[in-house]
Amino acid sequence: MKRIFAVALGILTAIGGFLDIGDMVTNAVVGSRFGLSLAWVVVLGVGGICVFAQMSGRVAAVSGRATFELIRERLGPRAALANLGASFLINLMTVTAEIGGVALALELASSVSYVLWVPFAGLAVWLVVWRVRFSLLENVTGLLGLSLIGFAVALFLLHPSWLDLGRQALQQVEFSDEKASTYWYYAIALFGAAMTPYEVFFFSSGAVEEGWKSKDLNQSRANVIVGFPLGGVLSIALAGCAAVVLLPQSIQVSTLGQLMLPIAVAAGKLLVAVVLLGVVAATFGAALETTLSSGYTLAQFFGWSWGKFRRPVQAARFHLVMIVVVIVGVGVLFTGVDPVLVTELSVVFSAIALPLTYIPILIIANDPQYMGKLVNGRFTGAVAVCYLGVILAASLAAIPLMIITGAGR
Amino acid sequence: MILSDLLGAEVYGEEPLGHVTDVRFVLEGDSSNQPMPRARLHGLIVSPHTKSSPLGFERTEIRSPWPIAQLEHWLHRDSFLVLWADIAAILPERIQLRPGFTRYSALLVKSAVPEPHFE
Amino acid sequence: MKRRHMLDPEAATGRVLDAQLHLLDRQVHDVASVPVTAVSDLEISDVDSIQNIPPGTPAPQLIALLSGPVLGTRIFGGRPPPSRLQRIAWSDVDEVGVVIRLAVKGETLDATWAERWVRDHIIGRIPGGRHDPE
Repeated sequence: MKRIFAVALGILTAIGGFLDIGDMVTNAVVGSRFGLSLAWVVVLGVGGICVFAQMSGRVAAVSGRATFELIRERLGPRAALANLGASFLINLMTVTAEIGGVALALELASSVSYVLWVPFAGLAVWLVVWRVRFSLLENVTGLLGLSLIGFAVALFLLHPSWLDLGRQALQQVEFSDEKASTYWYYAIALFGAAMTPYEVFFFSSGAVEEGWKSKDLNQSRANVIVGFPLGGVLSIALAGCAAVVLLPQSIQVSTLGQLMLPIAVAAGKLLVAVVLLGVVAATFGAALETTLSSGYTLAQFFGWSWGKFRRPVQAARFHLVMIVVVIVGVGVLFTGVDPVLVTELSVVFSAIALPLTYIPILIIANDPQYMGKLVNGRFTGAVAVCYLGVILAASLAAIPLMIITGAGR
Repeated sequence: MILSDLLGAEVYGEEPLGHVTDVRFVLEGDSSNQPMPRARLHGLIVSPHTKSSPLGFERTEIRSPWPIAQLEHWLHRDSFLVLWADIAAILPERIQLRPGFTRYSALLVKSAVPEPHFE
Repeated sequence: MKRRHMLDPEAATGRVLDAQLHLLDRQVHDVASVPVTAVSDLEISDVDSIQNIPPGTPAPQLIALLSGPVLGTRIFGGRPPPSRLQRIAWSDVDEVGVVIRLAVKGETLDATWAERWVRDHIIGRIPGGRHDPE
């Protein structure tokens, strides 16, 4: 019985943990402009994150080392430094977006101004990172994030034409005022939102934090292969809500309020409150994960002592980095920049940096020096190499498309 | 001197031969004794075609992931080892070998690093 | 066509360490398995008349693992002055495996001064810093 509970907990946490402000905003924007015609990207992205999260979890369980620890020794300091630089900056952007997202959601829930929530959210993120045990942190935010099921509920309550939605998803329906270049720009953004680099570093460091061994791999496989796709389903449901309510009205999502509008239309204030709880939890959880990721990557590159399993004084520089990251994030938000805009940019930059993140994982997961006999099997290896092609294509196309479409305007 | 003085330096015999991509040390004694025995510089690994870090692919027989391994093996084709005794001079950015130096294979069959054991 | 060179006499003796493959950029843990640093460079003993080495000169020895600012110069070029090198003596190394384990505690090393400074002046001063996470 206890085993079933543990398995369920892992899966549920993965569902709630999959969604962050990047997924939510991007799916809402895409739904309001393109309907479900980009749903295939979510499927592709979920497949990709499953493959790579699994690989990096396996690396951590078998070698006992987190992925970024191995990147420097396997690929050399130059490549690792480039990777670190890009990952750290994008992480910083993502932390800023997530803290902003928490503040926005709290503003919606309370009518207290967003600006007042920002430092509160930042402080809360830091306090949890400082004092709360890793597993507790993961489980609480993951479970509360499940309230986002409200989007799926809302979609049903909206009585959409499933046929229409299906046609959007399967055929490329023409949206007369959108160009093909914008379509592909948002495809890349959605891909970056699903395959967030920080997830992989967090996942593998978390595996070390929780002391996973090879025997825990099946559990992690279940979490990932069941949890992430279900999270993807919720993403698509979110896009579906926007497609049904906002697209016909030509309302393009640019605020959190608009994102929540379909829920209000479907079921009124109660469901809005429930879903807002989910938004706060999922975004807060993602803020914790990205903050920890910043600490993990920097500490692991330099060989510093790290980990929430250690007392802060035993991992002093690791904690200092995270304090600085939160302060910078809060500081950036104080300049009045729109967190939704930061979010939209962070997912595209994530897509650009994906090859830097994933190529090393692929190399390490294939190296018998770290993996023994548990190197990538033929099937996993083939799938991973295919994804590498997709990741490279997305990364290379991102900047030209960003310029051509003016970042999707 | 420090290692970076040697890594990447151009190696000359009678003509340019390549660049140093690694430096090989030999332990004087058994590495299972504690502490580690002294380590003597054994030789330099020279690659005629590239300066870049080899990612270890050419020194062992790892062949996957396929495209990257193929690229690395190709970049480091014809790497060879020269021993300390064949080094005539170490100058800034340049290493001169003695005439008639011997090229050894860079292949490493068994190093001092123990085989990792996995559960 | 690949020429097959003669095998290195030491290739199979189990006594070889290649700097780039086995030592550089490896994590260093102290005797209690606490991470100390990552190896950025190596210090090798000097050789007399290195610009014109007489035959029969004994080979130089590996003296120390280097970390700290030397990483910047290794990547971008140049060389820090010898007094600024953060050294971990080779004689303090216990074993070289997936990580490099030392035979001493991290506290005693130069290489941990930054960690100790941050601990004593910043982290240690914030309430809760010395406690286990709950």
